Amino acid sequence: MARSSRSPARLVIALAVAGVLAVFLVYTALAGTSTPQLKPSQLATKANAGSLEVVGTVVGPLRGDSHSASGLRFGLHDIGAKSIVVPVVYHGDSPPALFAVGRHVVVSGTYANGRVAGTSILTKCPSKYTASTTKTY
Amino acid sequence: MADLGRAALVVSLGLAVYALVVGWFAARSGRRRLADSARNALIACFGSTLVAAAVLATALARHDFSFVYVASHTSRTLPTIYALSAFWGGQEGSLLLWLLVLTGYGALAVALNRRLLRDLTAWVVPVFGGIATFFAFVLVAVASPFDTQTAPVDGLGLTPSLQNPYMVAHPPMLYLGYVGLSVPFAFAVGAMLSGNTDERWIVATRRWTLAAWMFLGFGQLLGAHWAYTEVGWGGYYAWDPVENAALMPWLAATAFLHSVMIQERKGMLKVWNMVLVALAFELSVFGTFLTRSGVVNSIHSFAKSPIGGWFLAFVVISSLFSLTVILWRLPLLKARTKLESALSREAAFLYNNLLLVALCLTVLWGVLFPIVTQLVKGETRTMGRPYYDFFLRSFGLPLLLLMGIGPLIAWRRTSVRAILRLLVWPIAVSVVAGAVLLAAGAGTSTPGLIAYTFSAFVLGTIGVELVKGTRATGSLATLIARNRRRYGGYVVHASIVLLAIGIAGSSAYQTTRELKLLPGQTASVAGYRLHFGGVDRIRNDPNRTGQYAVLNVSGRWQGTMRTGQVTYTGFQETDEDVGIKTDWLRAQDLYVIANFQKHSNAVFFKVLVKPLVNLIWVAGIVFVIGSLIALWPDAREQRRLVTRLAPARA
Repeated sequence: MARSSRSPARLVIALAVAGVLAVFLVYTALAGTSTPQLKPSQLATKANAGSLEVVGTVVGPLRGDSHSASGLRFGLHDIGAKSIVVPVVYHGDSPPALFAVGRHVVVSGTYANGRVAGTSILTKCPSKYTASTTKTY
Repeated sequence: MADLGRAALVVSLGLAVYALVVGWFAARSGRRRLADSARNALIACFGSTLVAAAVLATALARHDFSFVYVASHTSRTLPTIYALSAFWGGQEGSLLLWLLVLTGYGALAVALNRRLLRDLTAWVVPVFGGIATFFAFVLVAVASPFDTQTAPVDGLGLTPSLQNPYMVAHPPMLYLGYVGLSVPFAFAVGAMLSGNTDERWIVATRRWTLAAWMFLGFGQLLGAHWAYTEVGWGGYYAWDPVENAALMPWLAATAFLHSVMIQERKGMLKVWNMVLVALAFELSVFGTFLTRSGVVNSIHSFAKSPIGGWFLAFVVISSLFSLTVILWRLPLLKARTKLESALSREAAFLYNNLLLVALCLTVLWGVLFPIVTQLVKGETRTMGRPYYDFFLRSFGLPLLLLMGIGPLIAWRRTSVRAILRLLVWPIAVSVVAGAVLLAAGAGTSTPGLIAYTFSAFVLGTIGVELVKGTRATGSLATLIARNRRRYGGYVVHASIVLLAIGIAGSSAYQTTRELKLLPGQTASVAGYRLHFGGVDRIRNDPNRTGQYAVLNVSGRWQGTMRTGQVTYTGFQETDEDVGIKTDWLRAQDLYVIANFQKHSNAVFFKVLVKPLVNLIWVAGIVFVIGSLIALWPDAREQRRLVTRLAPARA
C-alpha cells in the first residue's frame, strides 16, 4: 500500500491536472472574456449592452460605405422571423463579398442608444446547397 | 425506383436490428451458429445499404427530380461530378453515406477477424448492429432520401462556391474519418463485453484507427484549403463550432493512437484507452448533432432539422452505455505494469495524452459555452478566437516539444543527464535557429518565435534518429521498411512541425493592409508594389456577371494578378474571386481581395502577405505519406505481435 501511494503515475496525473487548472485560472483571471451573443429582438429590451455580437439577417437598404465617417448603414432582424429591425452602423474594412441584403451575418461591436456600432462583420459561409430562389433549407 | 431505395433501407434496418438482438443473444449464450448468422446479417446489411446508395446515385446522375432530394440539391446544368457529390451534400444523403461506410467497415472488420478473434467478434457484431440500427432508423423514419414529388422542370442547384473539387472530396473524407472511429469503439466495447480485455482488440483495430484518423485530419485540411482559396476572407480556420466538431474527435483519436502504444508495450492505461476510444466515437456523433441541431450559432449555414434531437439522444445513451461497461469491467482493466518514473518514454506519452485531451476538452468547453451560459444565465455568450488561440499556445507548444523528446527517451526510466546527452544536437539546432530568427526580426511575436524554435528542435530530433538509424541499417529505405510504424510516425511528426510553422508564420507574421486605389495608382505592401491597372468587366458570358481589378505587381514578385467579384446567373450570391500569388521559395502568399464601389472608380483592396502559409498544405501531403507508411502491412511487425500476444490468446 505504501508503495502504491508513492506511484509516480499519480504524481504525474496530479501535476498535470493541477497544471491544466492553473492555466485555466490564469486565463480566466487575466484574459478570459466571453462576449454576449444576441438576436435583434433581444436587443429591443436593452438600452445599452456594451460589447456584443448580434446574429441576424441583413435588411436593406444598404447606405454609405464602411470607410466613410458616416459608415455603412443597414438593419438586422432575427434569422427566420420578421422581428424588430435593429439599425447598424459599421466602420472598418470592406465587408465580405457575400455580404448582401437577406444574408445571415454576425456583427461584432457595441450597442448603445438603440443602435449597433459594428467593427466587424462575419457573413455566414455557404456550406450548404442553396436554392436559386429565396427558399432556404 | 424510389420504392426500391425505401425497401432497401427497411431491409437494412431489419438486418441491423437482427445483428443487434440476435448477435447479443448469441454472444451471451455462446451459440456459435447463431453468432455466425448475426455476423452474416451485418454483412447483408451492407449489401442492402449499397442497393439504397446505388438508387440515390442513379437518381442524381439522371437528374431525376421526382426525388425531392435530387431536386433540392442539383440542377440540369450542374456537371455530373457535382451532381454525384450532392450524395453527401445534403443531410439525408450524408446519413446514407454514413450507414454505408459504417456497415462496410463493420462487415470487413468483423470478416477479417472472425477466425483469430472469434470470441471477441461475437460481441463486436451487436455493437455495430446497435450503431447501424440508429442510422437506419433515422433514414427510414426521420430523414429519408427517397421522398418523392411531382418532378419539377429543374432542380434548385448548387451554390457556385461549393462547385469546387475540394468540396467534392472534403465531406466524404470527414465521413470516412468519423465513421472509421466506430471500428475501434465497437472492438473496445466488444472486448469489454466479452471479458477479453487483453491487447488483441487494439492490434485488430490499429490500422482502422490510423486510417480513420488520417481521413479526418486530411479532410479538415481540404476544408481549410477550400475556405482559404474560395471563401475569400484571408483565413483557413475560424474556430467555428462546425470546424471544431471535426477537430475534437481527431484530437481524442491522436491521444488514443499514442496511448495504445503504452498498452501494447507495457499493459498500462487500459481504462484510459477505453475512455479515449469512447470519447473519440461520441465526439464524432456529437459533431453531427452540432451541425444539424442548430443549438449553437455557426458561420456555416447548415440546415436545421429534427434529427438533432435523435442524435443527442443517441450520444447520451451510447455514452452512458460505454461508461457503464467501463465501470463494470474495471477489475479486468487493471494495468499489468506500473509507471516506474516520471522521466520515461511512457511518462512522456502520458504527458502528451493529457495535453491532447486537455486541448480537446478546452475546445469542447468553448463549443458548449454558449449553451451553458444560455441555460445558466439566460444569455448566450461565446468564446472567441482569443480563447482558442490562448489554449492552442498553452497546450500546443508543450505538445510540440514533447513530440521531439518523447520518441528518444528510454522506456521505464531515464535521467535528466541521459536526456540531455540524447538531445544535445537537437538543442544546438534549436538554439541556432532561434538566434538566427531573432536576428532576422522574428522576435516581433513571442509565440511565433517559440513555435519556430521548438519546430527546429523536433526536426533536429527526427534528423538525429534518421541519421543514427540509417548508419545502423545502411540505407534510409531499409530503415523505414524495417519499422514502418515508427518511421511513419516520424514522418507524421514532421508534417505536424510543418503545420506548426505554417500556422505560426501565417498568423503571427502576417501583414494586412487595406488600400484605396484609383486606376493608375500604386502602393507598396511588405515588399510588393501593386499598380492598379484598371477594371476588367465580364462581358458576353450568360453564366456570370461581375468585374475584376487588374493589378501589375513588382518587387518580390513580378506579374499580373486579377481579383474580383462574380455573380452567377440564377444565384443571388456574389463570390470573391481572390487573387493569390504563391512564392514557393518563401512558401508565402500575396493574397488580394477587391471591393468595388458603386459610385466611384476607386477600389478597396485588402492585401494580405502570409509568410509560410503554403507549408500548411504541404504538411497535409506529408501527413498522408507518413500515415500510409505507418499503415502499410508489415509482416515483421505482425510476427512480433503474434508472438507477443500468443499467451494472451491461450
